[in-house]
Amino acid sequence: MMPVGEQRWEMLERIGAYAAGELEGEEAREVERLVFERPEYGRLAESYARMLVMLAALGSEPVEVPEAVVGFAIRRAYASAFMRSAEVFLGALGRSYIDAFVYYLGLRRESYEGGT
Amino acid sequence: MSSAPDQALAIRASRGDVEAFRLLVQEHSGLVYRVALRILGAQDAQDASQEVWIRVWRNIENFRGDSTFSTWLYRITVNTCLSVRRKEARRGEREYGGDEMPFLPEPRGGDADPEAAALGGEQREEIQAALGHVRAEHRAALVLRHMEGLSYAEIARVLEVPDGTAKGWVSRGRAAMLIALAEENHGRGAGGPAE
Repeated sequence: MMPVGEQRWEMLERIGAYAAGELEGEEAREVERLVFERPEYGRLAESYARMLVMLAALGSEPVEVPEAVVGFAIRRAYASAFMRSAEVFLGALGRSYIDAFVYYLGLRRESYEGGT
Repeated sequence: MSSAPDQALAIRASRGDVEAFRLLVQEHSGLVYRVALRILGAQDAQDASQEVWIRVWRNIENFRGDSTFSTWLYRITVNTCLSVRRKEARRGEREYGGDEMPFLPEPRGGDADPEAAALGGEQREEIQAALGHVRAEHRAALVLRHMEGLSYAEIARVLEVPDGTAKGWVSRGRAAMLIALAEENHGRGAGGPAE
C-alpha cells in the first residue's frame, strides 16, 4: 500500500492533470466525481485552474529583450566570422610564402618534371 | 513551431552567413529571453540569453534540420539555463507534507472580474518567486507546457527525454508550483493560509 503522503501527492497531480484538461475517459470521470463530491478537491481544482490561467497570461505577455542581448550576439558572430576569414586568408598567405621560400632555397624539386 | 524561412536561414548561417544569423537572432531573441526569464529570473536571463546565442553560432554547423529550428533553439536555451542552475547551490523545492491542501485565494473581484484576469505586478513577482522553488527540470517542463504552449511530444524532443518523462515532469512541476504559489500567497498575506 502507498504511504498517505504519496497518495495525497498522487491525488494532487491527478487533480492538476484534470484541471489542465489532460485526463480522458474513465480516469477523467473518476476525478471529476471526486472534484464534485469533495469540496477540498473542488477547491484544489479551482486553485489549479487559476494558477494555469496566471501562467498562460504571464507566458503570453510580450517581453522586452534587452538591446544588449541582440547587439552582443550579432557583434560576436561578425567578429567570429571575420576571425575565421582572416585565419583562412593568413593561412593561405603564410603557406604561399613558405612554398615560395622553400622553392627559393631549392629544397623542393619541381613537382612536374615533364614526360620522359 | 518553426517556419521554412527559419530552416533556410539556419542552413545559410551554418555556412557562415552572418546576415542570416542576424535575422535569426532578431526573429527569435524574444523566445530565448522569455524562456530564460521564466526559468532563471530577471537577474540571470540576460547573461544566459547571450550564452545561448554564442552556443547557437558555434554549433549551427551541426544543425541538420532533423528537427525544426525553434525546437533546436528551445533545446539550447533550456540546456543553457539548466547548466546555469546546476552551477548554483541547489534551491530547495517546497516540501509537501500532505497534511494541507495548497489552495490559492479567490480573486478579489471574483472569477468574473476582468481586472482579476490581468496580472498585477505583485502576482508576477509571486509567480516568478514560486517558479524558483520548483526543481529546475520540472520548472523547464512546466514553462514549456503552460507558458510556451508546447505539446508533450515537443517538450520531450526539447528536453531529450521520453514522452512519459516529459509528462511526469510537467505534472510534478505543476503540483510543486501550486504548493509554492500557495505559500507565497500565504507569506504575503494576500489570502488565507493553505487549509
